[in-house]
Amino acid sequence: MLHPTIIAELREAVGVDGLITGASQLQTYECDGLTNFRVLPGAVVLPRTTEQVQAVVRICARHKLPFVSRGAGTGLSGGALPAEGGVVISLARMNRILEVDYANHYVIVEPGVINAHVSQHVAAQGYFYAPDPSSQSVCTIGGNVAENSGGAHCLKYGFTVTHTLALEVVLPSGELVHLGSAAPDSPGYDLAGVFVGSEGTLGVATKITLRIVKRPEVVQTLLAAFDTPQAAGQTVSDIIAAGMLPSALEIMDTLAIEAAEAAVHAHYPKCGGLLLVELDGQASEVEALMRDVRALAEQNGAWEIRLAQSEQERALIWKGRKAAFAAVGRISPNYIVQDGVIPRTALPQVLAEIERMAAVVELRVANVFHAGDGNLHPLVLYNRTIEGQEEIALDLSYRILHLCVDSGGSITGEHGVGKEKQQALGYMFAEPDLATMQLVRCAFDPESLANPDKVFPRPRLCADRPGPYTPHPLETAGVAEIF
Amino acid sequence: MSTAELTLDEGLARLAAIAGQAHARIRGETVEVAPADARETAAILRFAQENGLAVTPAGGGTKTCWGNPVEAQIRLSLERMSAVREHSWQDMTCTVEAGCPWAAMQTQLARHGQTVALDPLWPERATVGGVVAANDSGALRLKYGALRDLIIGMTIVLADGTVAKTGGKVVKNVAGYDLHKLMTGSFGTLGVITEVNFRLHPAEERTQTWTANAGDAAEFAEPLRALLDSQMVPSAVQLRVGKDGCALDVRVAGRGEAIEDCARRLSKIFSEIGMVPSSEAVWGARQELYDAANATILKASMLPAEVCPVSAELRHWATTEGAGVQCVAYPFGLMTLALQAAPPAAFLVQLRARLRPTGGSVVVLAASDEMRAGLDVWGCDADALGLMREIKRRFDPNRILNPGRFVGNI
Repeated sequence: MLHPTIIAELREAVGVDGLITGASQLQTYECDGLTNFRVLPGAVVLPRTTEQVQAVVRICARHKLPFVSRGAGTGLSGGALPAEGGVVISLARMNRILEVDYANHYVIVEPGVINAHVSQHVAAQGYFYAPDPSSQSVCTIGGNVAENSGGAHCLKYGFTVTHTLALEVVLPSGELVHLGSAAPDSPGYDLAGVFVGSEGTLGVATKITLRIVKRPEVVQTLLAAFDTPQAAGQTVSDIIAAGMLPSALEIMDTLAIEAAEAAVHAHYPKCGGLLLVELDGQASEVEALMRDVRALAEQNGAWEIRLAQSEQERALIWKGRKAAFAAVGRISPNYIVQDGVIPRTALPQVLAEIERMAAVVELRVANVFHAGDGNLHPLVLYNRTIEGQEEIALDLSYRILHLCVDSGGSITGEHGVGKEKQQALGYMFAEPDLATMQLVRCAFDPESLANPDKVFPRPRLCADRPGPYTPHPLETAGVAEIF
Repeated sequence: MSTAELTLDEGLARLAAIAGQAHARIRGETVEVAPADARETAAILRFAQENGLAVTPAGGGTKTCWGNPVEAQIRLSLERMSAVREHSWQDMTCTVEAGCPWAAMQTQLARHGQTVALDPLWPERATVGGVVAANDSGALRLKYGALRDLIIGMTIVLADGTVAKTGGKVVKNVAGYDLHKLMTGSFGTLGVITEVNFRLHPAEERTQTWTANAGDAAEFAEPLRALLDSQMVPSAVQLRVGKDGCALDVRVAGRGEAIEDCARRLSKIFSEIGMVPSSEAVWGARQELYDAANATILKASMLPAEVCPVSAELRHWATTEGAGVQCVAYPFGLMTLALQAAPPAAFLVQLRARLRPTGGSVVVLAASDEMRAGLDVWGCDADALGLMREIKRRFDPNRILNPGRFVGNI
């Protein structure tokens, strides 16, 4: 519980209706999408303006109180988990789109704006906002900036950082700074580039200038059924080797297909490896390339190839893919979501090794991946009611991450390190690498008040606990699919 | 190297002990040393730090005049670290040592039809490390993005000798801070880049360039807006402005049918001005500005929609003042200006005042010593300058790495 003077100061800063201190209301904020970690914050504030955020952060700085900023709380790595007894700054009320500039291809938004709303806002003029995390119908731009969110289409279009031109940031001292600019290459260090993806540890973004992109002339989506995910993976390699850059390349294995079918009836072919290829661009080019994709799929033994014939059919294909995570709940009582990255060429060996590792401990692993950029989402299925199985599943999910690192990859492609993978970061980076990152942290936040005890490994004594997947409240309510 | 404690010869001996006799020598008041790897680089920096010696990392020496002059006692040459260490062509990534000349790297990558999709200045001589440290980029940025978006990892050596890796060898990776973004464009003030990992693109096999000519850049404003608002994806677009008139070049890459399709679309967009096929040689325009002797070169950054109006204003100014001005501008908002004679002091002040309200800037890259002496070449007015200084203080507390070269005398 926070000291009454601090509560009074926070109330002064954000008003009575901007402050939450009641225990039952605080519970809403005790976790994000990684629901097995829960911490009750001391208070939650809901500022409406940059000035209010500054006032709150200054109070925190004065009292050396940790604070955690938070958008929609859809993150899967515990990045928005409150700090014990600290303040949660919810940006939900700062949800205005402030400016749209079509001549210069940018929009300026507040952090609480929902990702999909940006695209909707500029759709009439033929533009869209490219990063599309699967939670895009509910997740916020502020959260995307913190996590450097990707999505299925980042293969071609890039990540949040590629599309963030400028930021207004409240530093952990309360000072307001402007990083980057809508005009390129502002003189000085690229602090906007460093801030994006820093998981809330360097300050609070209060205004974000985003690049918007012209919607492509045509989009074509193709499904190809193979006997194995390896054959689908080889087709991905062949497509890339042919010099093509599709806007999405996704693979699902049997278990994932089964789950998706059960959930949304996407009419996927029943197969060992399903490949989804999306090409976009000028009509003349896309049609020619799609012919090549088809030929490459046939060469690798695709026995069914289907090109979506309508926008509805295309939407259904994507719905199945995007529902795959949550759908796994239909074929297993519990599961853990992981987010490793490997070099694309390591895919066959890594898949075989995951299968072997799973067989040894008698568990099933469903695989869904953004195959174009080697981003795997292994879903470790288990049953919590069987004694000891949860621990085995957790251990397996960790060893899969280590396998990704050992294969030359990364422990996270889009979910972030957060609370969940702090220790794994220490497996991926050596001490000098982490110490160098800390120099940046210390320059921005010498007191370690912004989202403390996240991202970086804690003392070696603490073991990491990756999360068994429990549905996010939004997911249970049917408002969102979480990936 | 005449510090109180160390003579030039003593410094040479110590550095030769690290990198070998053959790789250390005296040049004027500086010891030039060429380490073989990151470990030797670290040893040199530790030695410099212990003795309070300033170090300037050096590649091909093509952009040494960018930024404020540095008086360094040690010139740390990356020339021995010049290998393409790894080209995972199926993964479309590569790892290259910082001293590798840009063109040499591209030749190697071209064996598998791939490229780092960036067209920097002086590609034959400029090194990977130098291009990255100076954040140079050319016309291809329109389609492929800024240099920092092509870099997926790095090895750097800090002032205290720490050898750190950042990022990795995969394109998608959000583990830890992206220190390589901080290093890109930091002008060697935070650490020495020894190795860079890039994401690669397929090399453009078939391209076609078209050019439109007009008397005034303002005539291009509407067709250029229409082009950028269209669903075409040109790989490069540039505006050239000189005393004889203005030209707009567009390059498209793709298959035959796609190129023909683009030709039809372009002729529609540029129906009033007219657009004709031209030569790939036009893309050397930015380089030509730098190659002209004794020119003052400015890099101006502006909003994309300002490119045509600002070009027109500059040409008008040049005509009125009788000044020789040439510009090459890219539609994402970067313009290189070459002035034949040093411009009056008021010129820079006015141009900065014109661009700043919309977030633009002007950096003086090449200028006579007299001109430099009286001005701030960077013109950085960021409210984050204090934060930048703090980052420098944390990375290089004794200010041994390119002291004073960067914004705010960092």
